[in-house]
Amino acid sequence: MANTVIGSSIVIDGEISGDEDLVIQGTVKGRVSLKQNVYVEESGVVEADVETNNIEIAGQVTGNIVASDKVEITSGGRTVGDIKAPRILIADGAIFKGNVDMDV
Amino acid sequence: MSEPITIIGSETIVSGNLEGDEDLTIEGRVEGSISLSKTLTVEVGGVVRADINVRNAVISGVLVGNVEAQESVHITEQGRVVGDISAPRVILVDGSSFKGNIDMGDFNIDQDTSERRETKSRKPATPSVRVRPVVKEEVEEAVEEESEEPAAEEQVDEDTSVTRVRRAIPVRTTGASPKAPPVRPVMVAKGEKKQPPAPRVRAIGKKTKAKKKKG
Repeated sequence: MANTVIGSSIVIDGEISGDEDLVIQGTVKGRVSLKQNVYVEESGVVEADVETNNIEIAGQVTGNIVASDKVEITSGGRTVGDIKAPRILIADGAIFKGNVDMDV
Repeated sequence: MSEPITIIGSETIVSGNLEGDEDLTIEGRVEGSISLSKTLTVEVGGVVRADINVRNAVISGVLVGNVEAQESVHITEQGRVVGDISAPRVILVDGSSFKGNIDMGDFNIDQDTSERRETKSRKPATPSVRVRPVVKEEVEEAVEEESEEPAAEEQVDEDTSVTRVRRAIPVRTTGASPKAPPVRPVMVAKGEKKQPPAPRVRAIGKKTKAKKKKG
């Protein structure tokens, strides 16, 4: 249940790091470094390089993403940047611009 | 989503600027600055090393930095704060620890003391209710040219003087009031003439009878 939630009206300019799930409904600029899961919800805006285990993007992410497990861009999610992860899912309706590296 | 609440979990570290328009709960670690238009809560275990500008702050964890709050800063029993606090309301609970300056803003000490004096003067106002009838009686006493010394003494003496006055007045009024309303001049004149001599005659008669019996 250990959970971090960045609410919709919150703006963080800096670095977020830790060892638990992160839910982003607001705005995060800078850098995100987690060992667990990141959820960027519809209202969430991330302008940062993201390093995590899993990331699920329903909002907007601008930056490079490195995931040790999986990156999922859901319908409505918008991502601009390079993605490096063994599993990458881009759903129908998702918007993505950048390079994909599945380390094949 | 209806109630936006931001939580920085116990395993999360945020370094940088954090600002927003909703409540923020910190269970983990935040370094940098925090600017909120609502309430900041630092839970037990939370560590904040930041300058803070919020409306309300409730500190149960560790906070190092200056705090400026529009309404209140509350340091709970578990709270540990080092820094300067600027807020109109600052609450330090027993058991909390704090090091720094506190600024509750500009306030006039004279006004506060005058308000306290008013509240003190209101409390003895209840016995003044007892004093009010005494004042009237003091006027009556003054009319009767009595000295002011009994009035200056304790209330017990005043009450006795009051009873004296009250007893003195009814005797006079009862004698005059029932007879006075219908026809004043004739009845009063007869009453006054008849009453005084009658007791004297009776008294004299009793005394004389007693003397006669004894004799």
